[in-house]
Amino acid sequence: MSKTVLICDDAIFMRTMVGDILTQAGFEVVGEAETGVQAVEKYKHLRPDLVTMDIVMPDMGGIDAVREITKHDPQARILMCSAMGQQALVVEAIQAGAKDFVVKPFQPSRVLEAVNRVLAA
Amino acid sequence: MDTARYAALFQAEAREHLAELDAALLALEVQARDGYDAVAAAAHVATLFRGMHTIKGMAGSMGYTTIEKVAHALESRCEPLRSGDEALHAELLALLFTGTDVLRGAIDDMARGVETAPATIGGLLVRLRRPVSEPAANAAERARELATKPAAVASTTTPGAVNVRHLDVRLVDDCPLKGVRAMLVLGKVSTLGQVRATHPEQARWQEESFDGVFRITIDSGVADEALEQAVRSAGDVAKVHVRVPALASQGAQQALNASALPEATRTVRIDARRLDTLLDLVGELVITRDRLLRAIEALDHPDRDVQRTARDAARLVSAMQDEVLQARLLPVGQVFDRFPRLVRDVTRELGKDVSFVMEGREIELDRSLLDAIGDPILHLLRNALDHGIEDAETRVAVGKPSRGELILRAARDRAAVVIQVQDDGRGIDRTVVLQRAREQGLVSPDLEQMDDETLLRVIAHPGFSTARRVTSLSGRGVGVDVVNTRVRALGGQLELESIDGVGTVVTLRLPVTLAITRALLVEVAGTTFALPATHVEEALEYHESMQVRHAERPAVTIRDDVVPLMALDERFGLARSSPDRPDQSGERGGDRHLAVVEAGGRRVALLVDTLVAQQDIVVKPLDVVRGAAPWFSGATVLGDGSPALIIDVSSLV
Repeated sequence: MSKTVLICDDAIFMRTMVGDILTQAGFEVVGEAETGVQAVEKYKHLRPDLVTMDIVMPDMGGIDAVREITKHDPQARILMCSAMGQQALVVEAIQAGAKDFVVKPFQPSRVLEAVNRVLAA
Repeated sequence: MDTARYAALFQAEAREHLAELDAALLALEVQARDGYDAVAAAAHVATLFRGMHTIKGMAGSMGYTTIEKVAHALESRCEPLRSGDEALHAELLALLFTGTDVLRGAIDDMARGVETAPATIGGLLVRLRRPVSEPAANAAERARELATKPAAVASTTTPGAVNVRHLDVRLVDDCPLKGVRAMLVLGKVSTLGQVRATHPEQARWQEESFDGVFRITIDSGVADEALEQAVRSAGDVAKVHVRVPALASQGAQQALNASALPEATRTVRIDARRLDTLLDLVGELVITRDRLLRAIEALDHPDRDVQRTARDAARLVSAMQDEVLQARLLPVGQVFDRFPRLVRDVTRELGKDVSFVMEGREIELDRSLLDAIGDPILHLLRNALDHGIEDAETRVAVGKPSRGELILRAARDRAAVVIQVQDDGRGIDRTVVLQRAREQGLVSPDLEQMDDETLLRVIAHPGFSTARRVTSLSGRGVGVDVVNTRVRALGGQLELESIDGVGTVVTLRLPVTLAITRALLVEVAGTTFALPATHVEEALEYHESMQVRHAERPAVTIRDDVVPLMALDERFGLARSSPDRPDQSGERGGDRHLAVVEAGGRRVALLVDTLVAQQDIVVKPLDVVRGAAPWFSGATVLGDGSPALIIDVSSLV
């Protein structure tokens, strides 16, 4: 059975792009979230194998969402999606419990590598 | 709230508790190996629980979240032990040892005002949370199993078995956010052991200049391959190199263990061989300094400026020498710490009851001396246990407490370090030793009383004890000659005090450092030898007329004293180019010299060809092989680069 993914990003463009990369690699995108709050809710509901998480989102940021999700499920596998120049935020996200990160602009191969690492851990 | 004062209180008290935790864990480990004593084990577990609980409480009040977390996790993990729901087993013990180390690390970090990075403790917290789920009955079974397999336990749980590795990592060049990637690497490996240090330090990983090349020093029981795999699993890793730190000797690893992280910022680890080289170079610099000063003195019209500069340089060289010698000092505790176990084992083996006390563990010695004194001390401890301390029955019968006492003591005595092994046993039986010594011709046949000095000389005589066994002595001399040889080779002295029925004290008097000593250089049959100046009484020209015979042996008269004469060329079996032996008649001899040396109150006049010079030499100890030339205590390299043997005067007199 293919692995399930929840994609969290406030930009449709990014959600689509990440979704395409993962779908083509055989993952099943089971949900999308535009805000942190949505991300937490959908995680609890969907229990996906993997979450891709943007850092800056309205309502609740990606880092707080990571905290909430890992509080709920310490085993949650979350991959942070960051832009260049967000190093400090990525550090914070990892400390909050995110397992790995990719940096925009996305290269499909890098995204898949990271995803596979997170799922293998 | 006076934060600084509370912080100091916290540190002091937390450390006391850490020491208690260590002691309790060690005691439990001994039990795991030798079999359980339920009452004692419960007391140790209670100590563990209380220590962790107290640290947790204190840390909470101080707002030290990390320490609080670790202590809490440890405390929780101990709960089933305390309630009796779980029996202690090897894995848990190992985990608690690791946990205590992490706790100590966090407390050390806090002493420097930093909170330990979550990545460092994350792995531990997970392992502590996940109880090694094993039904109590099963665990008890395992404990018994382990008790019968000491070796297996040792390999998995011995806290001393530190396994420090450097992981040198290079991230791929195009790796984005290298600092964060490095953190992930650290997170991965920290689940496999305790991270001791990183280079550059973690705080600098997020800096612009961090290039993705870093080192993690980890103390972990897993194989190199597993460590490498963990590093690679973090992604974007171009290269990993796993290696044991150059400081790979056990002593050094223990030192590393003891000092752990807190010192890391202020101390630099140096390969011990570099220190050796440095010492050699400084030694040669000292010799060169002396030559320079002499050369300047010898000038007819010395330039004042040159004189002053040379004096300044000489002063700096001395200061540098002091510093290098200081840098090589290590506390004797590093050697002592292995003795409690050994003493315990021997005591059990012999079925005796002995309390072992160590004093002065903090006294410092040069590391080359430290390496060399372990075996001699062990020998002396064994002797005391074997032959000194009586069994409980005998002790009670002569009115002593049933439990014997063995003390290993280190202390500073002016420029020397004194190490003593003291027992309250039966003492050495002088009557038996005297009788044997007479038989073997080691003492004059009419000697009635043996003082301590003679006693030591006799029992330290090679072969004294091996010739024939005497039951009441039961090999008391075994090894004393080896100890004596070794201690002398280190430039030290052995002393003995034995009182019949009261006990024995053996004292090793050692120089704080080997290094540099003043020596008289002499030439014999074209070869240069060094005589340690401390043993040289005087040097004078030799004349045939001085020669006499005394008690059928060659001797010389020096100002009305008759001193035994020894021709070094004969003694060392060196071929002389001109056969002018001292006992042959002839007018030759005026160009030869005598060096009158003294050791242990006895003198001998050594006949040599030439007195070369008196100067400082750098002592390099020889590993004295039994049976090989016993007359030399070491070697040195002279100013011109040629080697010379250092004569062990006490072996000649």
